[in-house]
Amino acid sequence: MSQSTCSERNQAAGPMLPTVLEARKWHEDLLAEIERVSSAGGFCWQAGTGEMIWTGEVYRILELDPAVPANIRQLGTRIHSDDLPLFHDMIDRALRDAPGLTYQLRLRLPNQTLKYLQLCARRSEGSDGQSQYIGAIQDVSRRWLSEEALGNVRCELARLARVSSLGALTASIAHEVNQPLSGIITNASTCLEMLDAESPDLDGARETARRTIRDGERACEVIARLRALFCKRGGKAESVDLNDAAREVLALSSNELRLKRVVLRTEFSEYLPAVTGDRVQLQQVILNLLLNAAEAMVEIEDRPRQLLVRTDLEAPGRVRLSVQDTGVGIESHNAERLFEAFYTTKSGGMGIGLSVSRSIIESHRGRLWAERNAGPGATFAFSLAAHEGGRGTQSLGSARLPTNTERLVRSA
Amino acid sequence: MDKATLVAIVDDDVSMRQSLPDLVKKFGFSVRAFASAEEFLASDCVGQTKCLILDFAMPGMSGPDLQRELALRGQKIPIVFITGQVDQDLRHQLIAGGAVECLFKPFSPAALLKALNTALGVS
Repeated sequence: MSQSTCSERNQAAGPMLPTVLEARKWHEDLLAEIERVSSAGGFCWQAGTGEMIWTGEVYRILELDPAVPANIRQLGTRIHSDDLPLFHDMIDRALRDAPGLTYQLRLRLPNQTLKYLQLCARRSEGSDGQSQYIGAIQDVSRRWLSEEALGNVRCELARLARVSSLGALTASIAHEVNQPLSGIITNASTCLEMLDAESPDLDGARETARRTIRDGERACEVIARLRALFCKRGGKAESVDLNDAAREVLALSSNELRLKRVVLRTEFSEYLPAVTGDRVQLQQVILNLLLNAAEAMVEIEDRPRQLLVRTDLEAPGRVRLSVQDTGVGIESHNAERLFEAFYTTKSGGMGIGLSVSRSIIESHRGRLWAERNAGPGATFAFSLAAHEGGRGTQSLGSARLPTNTERLVRSA
Repeated sequence: MDKATLVAIVDDDVSMRQSLPDLVKKFGFSVRAFASAEEFLASDCVGQTKCLILDFAMPGMSGPDLQRELALRGQKIPIVFITGQVDQDLRHQLIAGGAVECLFKPFSPAALLKALNTALGVS
């Protein structure tokens, strides 16, 4: 019996041994396949010595021969020179026993290919009591490139929307420049009349010459505002006073509003904190909301076409700008569709204005919405976080995309 | 030319309100300038104005609005429109609607004088 039991055991153990090996092999193959599919490899890093263990996918991402010894210096040779400060910061933090590491680093491979890495690791204690980091390196180039492409498209779309608003604004601009020009011509003519008289009116002539200069300066200001509004550039992160930004846009669109017989009222909060973002992009949004509001009131004849532009604090640390009209208003079931690209209720509209506006505001981590007024018309508003001193721009979504756009241009 | 002939200017643009009165004065008229149609209507000038130089596009009451209002009040003041929009159709429309002339800004002093003379029936 015991013999047979033993032989049964042997029979049982016999096939079991290769099964364990097979299972291990199967797991290894599975892990390798998962690594390949997710473009992510694993590593273990002795921070003190710099020695590392890399899985196959790490070698593949770094495009290094698996015979090459794995260590932090070897990894450093592949890092893009612009990201070396970041890389050294990671090493410093590891040497100071940081509990976790999360870094986005770029590789510059010998064939000049650029790769984007996401590196995550957690600290643990090795058998020797020293700090070690176990983590993963993922090749996120594809995602980065598509985000960059998206950022580019967004920038270009915003520029296109500006250009299409340009059509509506041309009349306004011509008018803004024309007014001081008319003043200049009238003043200079009057000045000549005063000088040519039998007893020249010198004081009068001096005054008209002064007015000529004033009108000339006024024309220059219009041109300067235009330059600021229409030059093509990517998103910038700067401190923006929404009151000032809105005033400039209002100055440029005043004729458009006047032509549509819109009575403009402003309520600018005196103590409005600045926001961080791209001034021109935010002005594009304000312009768009203004032109939409004016457009919504074109057919209104039975009540004043009133436009109220207001700035205030939505909540502590949150700045709001709203544009309220007395126009045709919005159907509540359309309120969200308004923000879809190519959705338009206007015969001449392209339907990209509000959609671009919303994407601009969202890239500034803000919110843009529409609501019906208690009375006639609608209110469109956006809110943005107030600029926090010292926090810098790293937390800003909009600050990152354009930088990458520039990088793409540089590396292309 | 009658020194007391009153010409009123209604334009929301400050450049025009500053420069035009002196020129019109040089032509020998007396002048009052107003920033809006409402301001003009509220003034004591309406009954005395012999010619109105009127901006076409203004916030609130526009130039044509003022023209209609004056007609309703039975005030037959000759009107010279001035506008920044170069639009011949608009010009013909305004003249057909009873205006003496419509000048596109910037206009020459000679053109303005001619229009004023036409308005006042001076050859």
